Amino acid sequence: MRQLVESARSGSIRAASRLISLLENDPAQLPELFAGMAAWPQPRVVIGFTGAPGVGKSTLVDALLASIRLKYPERMLGVIAVDPSSPFTGGAVLGDRIRMMDHATDDKIFIRSLASRGHLGGLTLGIKGAIRVMGLVGCDMVLIETVGVGQSEIEVAGVADMTVIAMAPGHGDGIQLLKAGLMEAGDIFVINKSDRPGADKLLAELTATLSLSGAMEHPVAPVASEEIGHQEDPGVIPETPQGKARVQDAAVFKVCAAARTGIDELVAGIEARAQRFAGPIMRRRQQAVHEEIRYAIMETARRRLTAALDQDDGGEKRIQSVLAGTSSVGKLAEELMKQALDQNRAR
Amino acid sequence: MAKARILVGKPGLDGHDRGAKYVVHLLRDAGYEVIYTGIRRSPEQIVNSAIQEDVAAIGLSLLSGAHNVLFKKVIDLLKAKGAEDILVFGGGTIPEKDVPGLKAMGIKAVFTPGISAATILTTIEALLKDKASAAVG
Repeated sequence: MRQLVESARSGSIRAASRLISLLENDPAQLPELFAGMAAWPQPRVVIGFTGAPGVGKSTLVDALLASIRLKYPERMLGVIAVDPSSPFTGGAVLGDRIRMMDHATDDKIFIRSLASRGHLGGLTLGIKGAIRVMGLVGCDMVLIETVGVGQSEIEVAGVADMTVIAMAPGHGDGIQLLKAGLMEAGDIFVINKSDRPGADKLLAELTATLSLSGAMEHPVAPVASEEIGHQEDPGVIPETPQGKARVQDAAVFKVCAAARTGIDELVAGIEARAQRFAGPIMRRRQQAVHEEIRYAIMETARRRLTAALDQDDGGEKRIQSVLAGTSSVGKLAEELMKQALDQNRAR
Repeated sequence: MAKARILVGKPGLDGHDRGAKYVVHLLRDAGYEVIYTGIRRSPEQIVNSAIQEDVAAIGLSLLSGAHNVLFKKVIDLLKAKGAEDILVFGGGTIPEKDVPGLKAMGIKAVFTPGISAATILTTIEALLKDKASAAVG
């Protein structure tokens, strides 16, 4: 394990990909690892891409890779593409990579597909470990492509520093844009397939919705990189009750990823935002570490309780006792917690 | 724990992907996580992808007749990159007389037309099991 970490740190993709598998296969190890990861280099910016299936997320990511590599040839890029696992067999077909094969022989691009493995919300449990490993191996930017999501699977907004919502004309009218969830999570909105009819109408509706919610008060205009340093740090971003920072200054871009139009402007927009919000991004990541430790504790407790419940007869007798009225859920929970504790002591 | 990850690739210039897609589907339904590269890929693209994806095995599908050259290239590249522990199997319209040569170069199994889905699955499962026990021992 330590050897893998050292090889990955010196740039070995093979070691890094092994490490991602280890973290993915045993997320229970994550809490211990997070402690050791504190000293790992991190990617400068993590960008999440989400949106309905078929709006062109993979093609958009592919086009961005090409444009960023051309503009910043020294930077290494990471891509994590998540696709769904079968709820029936656990199997998965990971196909996002097909759209990115032109980059397969570029040693400054590291693409990894992950299966969601029953995790809802558009991501997978191993994602945080994968992001950290990509930082370790030297990725400057990590692009995360989620499972194609519907309306509320916006977990990526909690993992990424910046969330890009991809849309395409022909996926519902202005009412869809009014609904809660997805629309509130976007820092950058991309209307893809802009060569199709309806793109301008979607742009007008989207802009109207975003102005209404106050998300576009101070749009971040793409600027030349030398000017970015002079923009003021926006300070601490107000948090919503769910812990997700409220979106400020969302920006909208119209692109056609397949024809590679509008992509360079989008890259400039992403870069401008990354630089302007660099301060808040770092502060938010530090807060996220607290959240991870909380999560790790809950996960450890959950596993131990599940094991206690499943002991002997798979929990059937206990469940029957609740059904028969001789016990209660509250009483059982107490019992199980005690049992889990005792077992730990006995160990 | 999830089953192994397998990459299915089509090297070379033929676009006949029915067989590859069939095997992808078969493996998915058997619980594997399958990464499909799509058609007309170079051996370099396939090997790099396999390393980045940390797969246990690569399945190569080829119906153009160039298997002796392209399968060899994949094996050589894996060796050059220190990834020869990733096992390789192949399939397609491959003449019976070529099979011993392919096996000699390190292709663990060759699936030719008419073979049953069940045989493909049990063969792959046995190969992966051997590999796992070799890694432990």
